[in-house]
Order: sequence, then C-alpha cells, then structure tokens
Amino acid sequence: MSNTSMNGGDHWMALEGGADGSGDDGSCASRFAGIGASLPERRLSSDELMASTEYSTGIDLERLTGVRERRIAGDGEDSYTLALAAARDALAHADCTAEDLDVLIVSSITHYVGGLRMQLDPPLSVSLKEALGARQAMSFDISNACAGMMTGVFLLNDMIRQGRIRRGMVVSGEYISQLGVNAAREIRTMMDDQLASLTLGDAGAAAILERAPQGAPGIEVAGFTTLAEHSRLCLAFPAKIGRGASMYSDARTLQEVGIADTVPMLREALNQAGLEFDEIDYFIPHQTSARAITKGVKEFSEVMGSAPKHVVVTVNEFGNTSSTTHFVALWKYLREGRFLKEDRVLLLSIASGLEVGIVIFKVDQLVERYGHDH
Amino acid sequence: MGTIIEASAVATAAAHQRSLSPGALELADAAARSCLESAHRSSEELDVLINAGIFHDKILSEPAFASLIQEDLGANLSPPTGAGRGTFSFDVLNGACGMLTGMSLIDGMLSSGTVELAMVVASDMDPEPGVSEGFSFPGVGGALLLSGDDARAGFTAFRFATFPEFAKLFHSYVDWQEDAPAGRAQDGRNILTVEIAKSYVTHALDCAEPIVRELAAGQALDLAEVDLLVATASVPDFADQLAARLGVSAELVAILPEDLAAAHTAAPAAVLQEVDLTAAGTTLFVSVGAGITVATALYRG
Repeated sequence: MSNTSMNGGDHWMALEGGADGSGDDGSCASRFAGIGASLPERRLSSDELMASTEYSTGIDLERLTGVRERRIAGDGEDSYTLALAAARDALAHADCTAEDLDVLIVSSITHYVGGLRMQLDPPLSVSLKEALGARQAMSFDISNACAGMMTGVFLLNDMIRQGRIRRGMVVSGEYISQLGVNAAREIRTMMDDQLASLTLGDAGAAAILERAPQGAPGIEVAGFTTLAEHSRLCLAFPAKIGRGASMYSDARTLQEVGIADTVPMLREALNQAGLEFDEIDYFIPHQTSARAITKGVKEFSEVMGSAPKHVVVTVNEFGNTSSTTHFVALWKYLREGRFLKEDRVLLLSIASGLEVGIVIFKVDQLVERYGHDH
Repeated sequence: MGTIIEASAVATAAAHQRSLSPGALELADAAARSCLESAHRSSEELDVLINAGIFHDKILSEPAFASLIQEDLGANLSPPTGAGRGTFSFDVLNGACGMLTGMSLIDGMLSSGTVELAMVVASDMDPEPGVSEGFSFPGVGGALLLSGDDARAGFTAFRFATFPEFAKLFHSYVDWQEDAPAGRAQDGRNILTVEIAKSYVTHALDCAEPIVRELAAGQALDLAEVDLLVATASVPDFADQLAARLGVSAELVAILPEDLAAAHTAAPAAVLQEVDLTAAGTTLFVSVGAGITVATALYRG
C-alpha cells in the first residue's frame, strides 16, 4: 500500500492537489483570501543582543546568520496579542468577516498569555475565537514547531477541497525572543547548542483560506511529511534559569539533513504540480539564517537542474519568527507590491521533527487586496 | 466510505512502572505499539500520527510530541531513496477534546484520500511529581487507529462548540515562581499548575447537553436509539450524569475503571477498552474540556 492522493501516484509525502489545485473528481480548489501580520515596534539589533551575553563569546551573530535585528514584544504584548492583531489584519484584507470562518486554528509554538505564563488549557483558540467574534468556527490549537502555520494550511486546504468548509483561518502569535534572552545568559561559544535561539524574533501572522471560484487559481499542491529519525535534534521546554523557555538544537546537523532530505520532497511536490523548479517565481523557505537559505537554494538548484526566479529572505530584518516566517514574508511582499497576479509561490517549511512541508500556489487576486493592481 | 476505529489500546503508569520509567512518552509509545499489534498493522503503514496529549515530559513545546512517538515506533524514519511512503506527525492541542478533534481531522483526510491509515495518540503524566501543583490526572496513554471501510458507516457526524464564559473553570499553565518552596530551587523555577473549579463538572454538563441534542437533531437521531455512550470530561462521574440528562440508560454508559476515572486527554481510548465498539450499533462520543470546549461525534458500528 502506498500514499495516493486524489490525483493518484506514489509518493512519500501526504499530498493534496494536482496541477490545477483540484482533484479530477470534482473536488474544490482553495486559495489564500488574506494574509495578516503583526510586528512589535521594539527592535533589538544583533549587536545589542550579543552585548548582553553573560560571557565574552566573540560571536559576530550578524555576520554568521545575516540577522541584523529582530522585533521583540513590548509591554502588554505576548503570543495571544500578536496572534489577535495578525488575525484582525488578515480579516481586514479578506473579503469576509470573522463570522464567516468555519474553522480557526492556532498554531503557535509559544502560548504566552499575560507576560511569560505559558497557557496549556484552555487552548488559545478559545479566547481568540471569542475576541474575533468567530462564533461559527470550530476551533483548536495545533503544535508542529516552526511548521505549525504550514500544517494549519495543509489541514484547511484538505477541508476546503472536500467541500467540508468554505473558509478557515490559521494564526500564530510567537513571543519567542525570550529564548534568546535566556540563551544570552548561558552561551559561551559559536558551537553552543543554544546559538539558534539568538536568531529568534517576535511576530504574529495569520492566513485565511477560502474555496476558490470554479476555475480560479489558488493552492496547487500542499504536502507534508515527518522524517522522525531527526526528531530529537531540536528540543524546547520551560527554562531552568528563568522565565520563558530554552531551546537546545544541533543546528548544524539539522541544517545538513534538512537540505539533503528536502530534495526528494521538492521533487515530489513539483512533479505533483507538473512544474519545474524554475517555474517558481518566488521561493519562500523557512527563515533560519541567510547563510542556510543561500546554501539550501544552491543545493536544491544544483540537484533539480534549475532555480526559482526569486528567493525571499526576511531573516535579516525580522530574525527567525518561528511558525510565522513564511507568512510574515508573504505579507511584507504583498504590502510592498512585489508580486504580479500570475506569480507562482512555493513555501517550504523545514522544521524540528524533522518536518518538511511544501505549499505551491498562485498569488492571483491577493495582490488586489493590498492595494496593488498588477 | 466510512471512517472506522480499527483498534484501540491503553497503557497505564500503574501497569508499566515495573518494566519502564513511565513518562508520558513511554505511555504513548506503549499504547501506540499495542494498538498496532492488535490490528496486525505495522508502524510503517501509518500515514498520519496525531498526538493529542497535553501534559508530557518536560512540557516540550518543540518539536511536536508526535514526532518523538513516530521515531520510537520506527514509522518511516529515514528519507526515501526511491519509491516509498512517509508518515506525517503533528500535535493537536484541544484539552480533553483532543482525541475527538484529531479523529475529525483524520476523518477528513481519509475521505479525501490524502491518507489511508492514521492514529491518534494521547497521554498525560505529571512532568514533575511533588513540584507541579494541582495535577490530579492518572498517568495513562491511549491510542486509536483509524482507517476507511467501504462496508461500514463509522463516524457520520462531528460537532464542536466553545463556551468561553467558563474559561476560568479549567486552567493549566507553566509559570515562573520566585517564591518556590524551600528545597525546590534557590532562585525560583517554572512550575506547572492545574486548576479545576468545583463547579466545572456542572457547567460541563450544561454545555454538553444542548450540543449533543443539536448533533442528534441534525442526524435525525432519537437519543433513545443510542447503544453506547462514551463520555469523558477529565472528572469522575461525568458520563453517568450526562446519560441521566440525555435519557440514556445507565447500562449503556461506558465507564472507566475507578483508577482512571479522572483520565484527561487519553480518556476516550481508555473507555473503549471497556466496551465492544463493533457490537454496538450507534455510539455517541462526547468529550468536554477546558474552554469550556465540547466535542461530540456519532459513530455507527
């Protein structure tokens, strides 16, 4: 027995969709109806962060990772407030209200409410649903490390394609910079297993998916898999030394296996969509470090025999905003009018687990929702 | 094609404390393995693995707990070198409604043909006995294996609702305590606290009853036709009281053993160990959790 999608064929990933985003059995296609984000006003440069370390590390963090600065939550901001602001922003750009949402998924890694109190019960989605007025929505939280929002997109896409729901939202609020604060107290060298924590930044992001009109472009393929051989390469849990959490990762190995193991997944997803790599106009990978992105794209392109037209990098100005990175990047490019309607985007998630998720879609009507008409 | 529960299994801390150190991960692993064995399935057949447990070892926030379970099960760990199949793992966090939420997601993925075999696993264990505050749930893990069956209806409806006005009645969180009692740590520590108000069970019943009646009305189901009631809310006696309100005979209520009466996220799987789901014609699932969140489902064996 093998994984088979609506379009048939063997593949490693759980895959949804085909060349036109819908199955050949009359299933619906889905599309992004609005992307929202919220960024704290406060900025923290890498130089400022490294000046706060307990020990003299000699690490040039900006040179090493490309992260110049990141946003950090201010007074009154936390996972919940960042998620709520992003959800409202997404609704403002979509042609619907909160009452039109059939499903609301919260996908934050961090669940900080009221400062650095990590809420486990009730799920954050209950209070977000109430605050938004999404009265009809089925709500729940998911957790899938930095692949959380992409996992939510995968789930919503599946529900919409079946016709089970018309519209849904996935939203994350990540107050995750505290991991960097804790790391700064303990880190001693460049080889430290908390180095990756220093790249983290705070942000909220939200994506609304809806049923696409017949024949309209939208999500062409969504796929996910977990290569659990590497599940213990990155672990985060409540800190021993202070408030918030600490994260310990073998970042070097994670990057190496992430790149190597993603190649066949990219090939599967592109094959499913009937595309070559150079037919991707904008490639948006998970934003860990500029160096990792450059290395990954180079290797992907060499193996695939072609390269995407543009590679989106935002880690320099926002840091790694964990589960929100793809959608903060999308939101930024939409606001700046970078996309054309006919542009095709590939979102690639490589996250702790090891999770590999891919979403390929056409931007289409989204550009108009941000005040642009090209 | 109907989504059916192919097998269920449970693993308790009490039963496993001699053979292993029963943290939440070990309980989840044991339940998942037992579930696969009873269905004569291999872990490599799993397309999706969802963890719905909340209170697990170290309160990990990353990676998904499900990916650790997947690795322990040996389910499609390595990257493919050619044709093959993979497993997709992630966590669903919806309190005591997590297993039903996970099953509803799997029901969708089975219907769409995205997956063919999936499992929901849940387990809870006090991460720091003697330090955590208010943790009263028994250590238990449960697993449910789901697949599609052309000959059986399986799950025919799900219904979910939230009642945020009662959100404060069931709260759990991890927070830093500067004034941690002597002997724990000098400078404070992060501590798990669980708070369940005495009035929670009454409000859980008040919230569940109308949602069950809505589900029944939508399915043209006379509640007198229910053959089996599987109702859980992380507190003892919920199922009996709900049955009385719904007019379901007490004999048709699946009851947890006394030592698991307050089971949290794994409760639905634990209950199914006590009954023959296949023999029951119409089973009504009801889970109530923090939020207050109500999850209901109708299952036709």
